[in-house]
Amino acid sequence: MSEKYKFDTMSLHSGHVPDKETGSRAVPIYQTTSYVFKDTDEAAALYNMEVGGHLYTRISNPTIATLEQRLASLDGGVSCVACSSGMAAMHLVVTAICSSGDHIVASNKMYGANINLLQHTMTRFGIETTFVNPNNLEEIEKAIKPNTKLVFGEVIGNPGLDVMNVPEVAKICKKKNVPLAIDATFNTPYLMKPITYGANIVIHSLTKWIGGHGIAIGGAIINGGNFDWGNKEKFPTISGSHFALNGISFWEEFGPSALTAKIRAEGMYNFGPSLSPNNAFYILQGIETLSLRMKKHIENTKMMLEFLKENEAVSWLRHPDLQDHPDHKIAKKILPLGSGSIIVFGIKGGRDAGKAFIENVKLSSHLANVGDAKTLLIHPGSTTHSHLSSEAMKMSGLTDDLIRLSVGLEDIEDIKIDFEKGFKAAAKILSKRS
Amino acid sequence: MYKDFKGNKVYLSTGGLNLVNDKETLCFVHGAGQNHYSFTQQIRYFVSQGYNVVAPDFPGHGFSEGYQTTSIEEDMLWLSELLAFLKIEKATFIGHSQGCLTILELAEKKPELVMGLVFVAGAMSIPVNDFLIDTSINNPEKAYDLMVTWGQDIYGSFSISDWPGHNHLAEGNAVMKMNDPSVLSTDLKSCNLYENGKQAASTININCLAVLAKFDMMTPLKKGLQMVENIKQCDYKILECGHFLPIEQPKELNALIKNYLNSLK
Repeated sequence: MSEKYKFDTMSLHSGHVPDKETGSRAVPIYQTTSYVFKDTDEAAALYNMEVGGHLYTRISNPTIATLEQRLASLDGGVSCVACSSGMAAMHLVVTAICSSGDHIVASNKMYGANINLLQHTMTRFGIETTFVNPNNLEEIEKAIKPNTKLVFGEVIGNPGLDVMNVPEVAKICKKKNVPLAIDATFNTPYLMKPITYGANIVIHSLTKWIGGHGIAIGGAIINGGNFDWGNKEKFPTISGSHFALNGISFWEEFGPSALTAKIRAEGMYNFGPSLSPNNAFYILQGIETLSLRMKKHIENTKMMLEFLKENEAVSWLRHPDLQDHPDHKIAKKILPLGSGSIIVFGIKGGRDAGKAFIENVKLSSHLANVGDAKTLLIHPGSTTHSHLSSEAMKMSGLTDDLIRLSVGLEDIEDIKIDFEKGFKAAAKILSKRS
Repeated sequence: MYKDFKGNKVYLSTGGLNLVNDKETLCFVHGAGQNHYSFTQQIRYFVSQGYNVVAPDFPGHGFSEGYQTTSIEEDMLWLSELLAFLKIEKATFIGHSQGCLTILELAEKKPELVMGLVFVAGAMSIPVNDFLIDTSINNPEKAYDLMVTWGQDIYGSFSISDWPGHNHLAEGNAVMKMNDPSVLSTDLKSCNLYENGKQAASTININCLAVLAKFDMMTPLKKGLQMVENIKQCDYKILECGHFLPIEQPKELNALIKNYLNSLK
């Protein structure tokens, strides 16, 4: 009999038991490109995906498979494919389901690269996207057309921190027979599992909180196994005839795992965005402490929100756990443990003050990442979006005083002291101006 | 492939290929609340080994329409009629769990159809406790959960799988959810009602194979061994896994079936 283990136990054990030959307690790193076949029968069976196993690390690898099995169990999915980055994961999902002439409905408040992929890259291949307000249910429903093959959004938007009403969007998708793919990077399965709210596909950038150490880039697709791909006209890539493997239908042969079988057989095979076994191992080390870290991230975020709320240098503050956040109600419902550890705030004095603040904090790292164990900051007005005017930034949903803070695991008092130094420098800019 | 059979759309997995007359046929018979996905790692493997494979979804299961059969005897009749419809005169039958009861019954009532028999996690009777039957009626999803948890050994808890990235506990649940919610309770009642297993086993006159699971909590090993004793010529092997042997130890099972099929030649 198996046991239904709880989150912390699965974080440590899923996908691995001590190695039968060596007794290795840790997950071994299978740093190999390929695997010796026992005989020609086995080789053929692996190539044809008749049985499980590994033939080439571009397609699968035992260390990566442990990571995949752990992620699938943590998110409550039937199967998972891990890949080289979160963006690779998104690309794999889109190309597994959509072809030229198809249509996607996506949140207009997503991470910029997600929007770029859909708005600029996929359009070149004939896949169009209608961007919608992620919490305007009527707008989402209206945007779904007969050729819509995917609805896509983020649980917590980046960088705006909008919270998508996943349960309600999932109901619309079910009614319209369109799969709902959710990027759950900012929440991780510790804070919320989209599949339990009706989403069909979960995408993670493993680079962020799941890894948590800032040393390995990775991505993953978790298949909820809860979508009916049986409509051959609508989903020919999943339920129609595959170009290889004797022309099988993934839906008929793999059922709930059809999507991940398709991604492995085509996406990993033909595009090749594989994760390295070493990075899979690093990310597994991160997952072992995911719940401990997320608890501390949330605790520190709460204290940081209090600190920033009271600070005179801060002109505005945004986080879904704050009562004045437009999505606070839905955040409380679907993210009861906390709405992640990203805080967005405005600094008095605009772009120059933001720049001064960033240049005068020392402990907090100024860089383009989130979800590290260390506190991270970025001021888009002086970095990623420095070429844009204030007006142009506003059109992207940003303001030139905006600072994005990824709250780390340091002693929060040290971070507050660090911020005070930055605020002091920003205040000087402000006082000079006045 | 889909067939119109007895006024209903019936799905049978053939591993993506058409059936060919001059090949030997293997017929995989799924268990309670299951469908052809129980044999995902057997169907295409044996197609590649040169066999015709037929793994039907029984009425109301998986992709098949139609009123569900309510007894093992009806299952057997439906299956034998389906084979006649497909013009399959003889086959080796591989049953899993409830599917073993169906092929036991077939072996007694339609011996002319049977070339070989493989019992996977089977027994001559499968009594089901009232709690599971009641749960399957009142709360099918809870019953699925109980079955997949009881049905796999400790490796299932850790999502240990030869299939890269697969989580068998969740997948087992998803497979059962594909059926109509009434399917499981009807199947479990069919198992509970079936009493002819011992008689049917005693009539079998061909070499058979039983592949049993050491940690089986659905059809305990002891009951599987009793079945072996009641069949005149039944080789058996015990694998260290739970009831869902075809997904827990697919390669070992495939090798045993392959050896058995070779022994029939």
